[in-house]
Amino acid sequence: MLAESGILLSVRSGSPFLIGSPERSDVSLLVKVLMNMAMSVSNTGERRSQQNTRPACNTTSFQKKSRSKLVSIPGTRPSVQNGQLIVSTGVTSLDYVIGGGLAVGTLLLVEEDKYDSYSRMLLKYFLAEGVVCGHHVFLGSARDPPDEIMQDLPAPILDDIPSNAVNMGQVTACDSEDQGSMKIAWRYQNLPKVQTALASSSRFGHYYDASKTMARELREAVKCSTFFLPHELPAESHAEPSPISEAYRLLLRSIQELIRQEGFDGTAPQKSRNILRIGLHSLGSPLWADDICCEEKPTQASSLTSFLYGLRALLRSSLCTCMVTVPSHLIQNRAIMDRVTRLCDTAIALESFRGSERETNPLYKDYHGLLHVKQTPHLNCLVCEAPDTKDLAFKLKRKQFSIERLHLPPDLSDTVSRSSKADVAESARLLSSACGGLATSNKHLDF
Amino acid sequence: MMLPDLGSLLGFSTEKIEKGDFILLSDRNADASFLINHFLSLYLRAGCKVCFLGLVQSFSHYSAVALRLGVNLVQAREQGQLVFLEGLKDSVGQLLQQGPDSEAYPMGFLRGSQTDLRSLFRFVQRSVGGAGEWSPSILLVDDLSVLLSLGVSVEAILDFSHYCRTTVCHQLQGNMVMLVRVGEDEDDEEGPELLLKALTHQCSLALSIQGLPTGYCRDIHGQVEVRWKERGPGAAGPGGALAQKKLLQYKVHDKGVSFFARGTSSAVL
Amino acid sequence: MLLDVIQGTENGGFVIIQDTVECCGRQLLQSCIAAALHREEDVHVLAFEVCEEDVRLRLDRKCEQRLCVHNGYTDPLGWSEHPLFTVHQFISEELNVHLSGSEESKPATLVIDSLSWILRHHPPAVVCQRLQELRRGGALRRVVALLHCDLHQQGIVGSLCHLATAVISVVPGDRGQQAVAKTTRRTKSGKVTHEEEYFSVKEDLTVTVESRPSHHGRPQTEEDEREVDPAANLTFNLRLSEGEKEAKEKLSLPFVFSAEKKSALLQPRPGSGRIVYDPDASDDFDPEDPDDDLAV
Repeated sequence: MLAESGILLSVRSGSPFLIGSPERSDVSLLVKVLMNMAMSVSNTGERRSQQNTRPACNTTSFQKKSRSKLVSIPGTRPSVQNGQLIVSTGVTSLDYVIGGGLAVGTLLLVEEDKYDSYSRMLLKYFLAEGVVCGHHVFLGSARDPPDEIMQDLPAPILDDIPSNAVNMGQVTACDSEDQGSMKIAWRYQNLPKVQTALASSSRFGHYYDASKTMARELREAVKCSTFFLPHELPAESHAEPSPISEAYRLLLRSIQELIRQEGFDGTAPQKSRNILRIGLHSLGSPLWADDICCEEKPTQASSLTSFLYGLRALLRSSLCTCMVTVPSHLIQNRAIMDRVTRLCDTAIALESFRGSERETNPLYKDYHGLLHVKQTPHLNCLVCEAPDTKDLAFKLKRKQFSIERLHLPPDLSDTVSRSSKADVAESARLLSSACGGLATSNKHLDF
Repeated sequence: MMLPDLGSLLGFSTEKIEKGDFILLSDRNADASFLINHFLSLYLRAGCKVCFLGLVQSFSHYSAVALRLGVNLVQAREQGQLVFLEGLKDSVGQLLQQGPDSEAYPMGFLRGSQTDLRSLFRFVQRSVGGAGEWSPSILLVDDLSVLLSLGVSVEAILDFSHYCRTTVCHQLQGNMVMLVRVGEDEDDEEGPELLLKALTHQCSLALSIQGLPTGYCRDIHGQVEVRWKERGPGAAGPGGALAQKKLLQYKVHDKGVSFFARGTSSAVL
Repeated sequence: MLLDVIQGTENGGFVIIQDTVECCGRQLLQSCIAAALHREEDVHVLAFEVCEEDVRLRLDRKCEQRLCVHNGYTDPLGWSEHPLFTVHQFISEELNVHLSGSEESKPATLVIDSLSWILRHHPPAVVCQRLQELRRGGALRRVVALLHCDLHQQGIVGSLCHLATAVISVVPGDRGQQAVAKTTRRTKSGKVTHEEEYFSVKEDLTVTVESRPSHHGRPQTEEDEREVDPAANLTFNLRLSEGEKEAKEKLSLPFVFSAEKKSALLQPRPGSGRIVYDPDASDDFDPEDPDDDLAV
């Protein structure tokens, strides 16, 4: 192991591949090879750090040394799968679900839940992660003033303060595992453990305490640009024919100007390179002067899609990453929603149980809603990173938003009444028809 | 060679390129972009003059994928074998109506002042002609349905593809490959569905990719229906008016795709 | 009837060949051209979807000078400098000039490939009016048009077919690889006939009808399934013959309590079992119910 890491160290210090440039793809192969090695090293490092009872953070002393020589952008790392530079969405389990993180230069679509409560939460996590990493943050909104949203970001749980506590927690967890280890029949002993909480092996991104808001000085330490449609709209619009509506055009233009001014398009000197995080709230809603939510045949059916195409073009050529939320449940024409999804790279949909019949369903009692991964990106490779299961659910714990594999709750009651069993069976049947896979016919088997 | 299965399946190889073929790719609940990458590398390796309208991804993406398949796009572009239109690149300027309005811009239709895709066709015409040492001429489009998202009407897209067909398939005896992506709803009477149907009437070979009807599976990514139509009115053969069909399942790997008959996936056997 | 329509035995007709993605109708259209040329008629083809070479490909070389192909394939919208024939000329007077190009005014056959192309660029009402005008103009003997009916709304297809004297729909048959032509013809007197036939087009563009599926071996549609007699293949009888009825009447069924049976049962017979009970002195007869379960 040591010999291997020695080789790696020399390569890493020699080639500054962590520097994000818009033309990353040419080195993607090399990066991939290197990353595979890097992963094995960081795992070793992790183990070592635990043995030495150092503070439990993933960077080891010798990684720190190598990193100090590199000009890397805070809050980014190359993806294990394809070498793309990725950033965290602010929700660790979401990062895992979409293939490690959000690639720089790509667009994440979040289909809002009915009351926009969880999607808004995701947007805040996304922005908060940007603030903590020192990224430039851009927030566009037509409903609530962006400043209000920014004031309400969740507070980060920073490693420095509770590191001891975390360590203690780990030790006790290990102890309890030793003492209370179950006797398992040999036939089942070696089966992999079912892990419901999703997380990658190495830590990336931060955790947040949703019950507290972020300290003001932390928030004000980073550059933040905002776009609030009611403040931007001119009194009269010019009547030049265009596939894109006035509101979206203004938004696109202000993003374009910001990218140019701050040099996110690669013109900035290497040392001061940073990531621009763009959050756009509730695009497509009537407040953006768009009628796709109101009409089956909207007058400007291609306005939002044209905007997204332009946004995609901007993102691809700069150090930006973007999260867009869309009230898809309101969009009348499914074809438009299909096109919107296709123009985004990653697409997830939130389906909250609040107000739906699933709220009272015993099957879902542990969760707050379902998460559907509609699309994962194709980046510099043929195959796209598909999740191993599509049955995912989310819950908002006191402190954190987490995504888990959906599974039936264990029945711990001593006397199982017949009716409740039938209930669960019935709801399991519902589940298989509602979210288990995307079966489109009533045929049972393809092979 | 990459995708050996697909090549033998369709009777395609770098040595034998059928003249005047119009190949239509489509997908529903799945992603057919791997086929675009396949055809791109196939034609480049066969020494064809290729014009690629990449409307969906950046050049670096296509180039990275092609590299995995053993083809160097940058080199091909420098040697004049490949003409690449990067749709994303100058679209923002056109969308925001910056700079002069001119028919010279291939993406000039984004301004909204042009109702047809004449400027894009002019670009194709300039690019596929004058092949020189490279022949025959090939046009690849990834993908046509993006144009719908940009507010172009189905009629205008069909006119565009008609002109491309007359130029590429008929005049230059080359091949044309176009991708159309359609939504889940098959009964949709307009938009992508109409586009797909109208193009299916014109094409000589249709490959339609679909997700499995029974849902998502990790070991089988979907199924492909291959539909041959005889070329021109000349072909008779058994059935004549009817197309021949074949249904296969596939799985995409890092460097290629494997096709197999239904139920013969390695995950099952 | 398909052959009659293709041979064009009537004058002033307007034939629409409908096809879908599933089944292509262009071969039948080609057969119409070949048949007209064989009858020594002039044929004008408005070719939007196929090039001239493909139109001429399988036609008899001898008849070539009677065939006039108007090339709307290479430049139908006039994007180049010198368009040969554009789709806009279809509704203008120029078409008449094109059609009357031949000096002797023998009525010609006009073939349109395809109407779908024209419908994409002109409103349906204009197309209908123009077609009617062409038919009535006297310069034409017959109009034959191809229409991709899955590309248009039902109403547009309906209105065009309403104008036609004969409509041939080409659909896939259920037997292997063969196609079915559904022909509907309307005569001047208003009589409507309908027929379905399996057909095939040979190398020399002659059409042969192989069978008439409407009479035997017809494809099983849902309609047919509804007409099937449910009593056709039963393994038992629904009705009885006279002899069977008699036999059935004779049979005495068990558990039917006839008068004879009752009296026979009431007669005490020797040897039948009987229980005699004499209470013993030592018998402990307890009027109470020890187990509390007899409800005494």
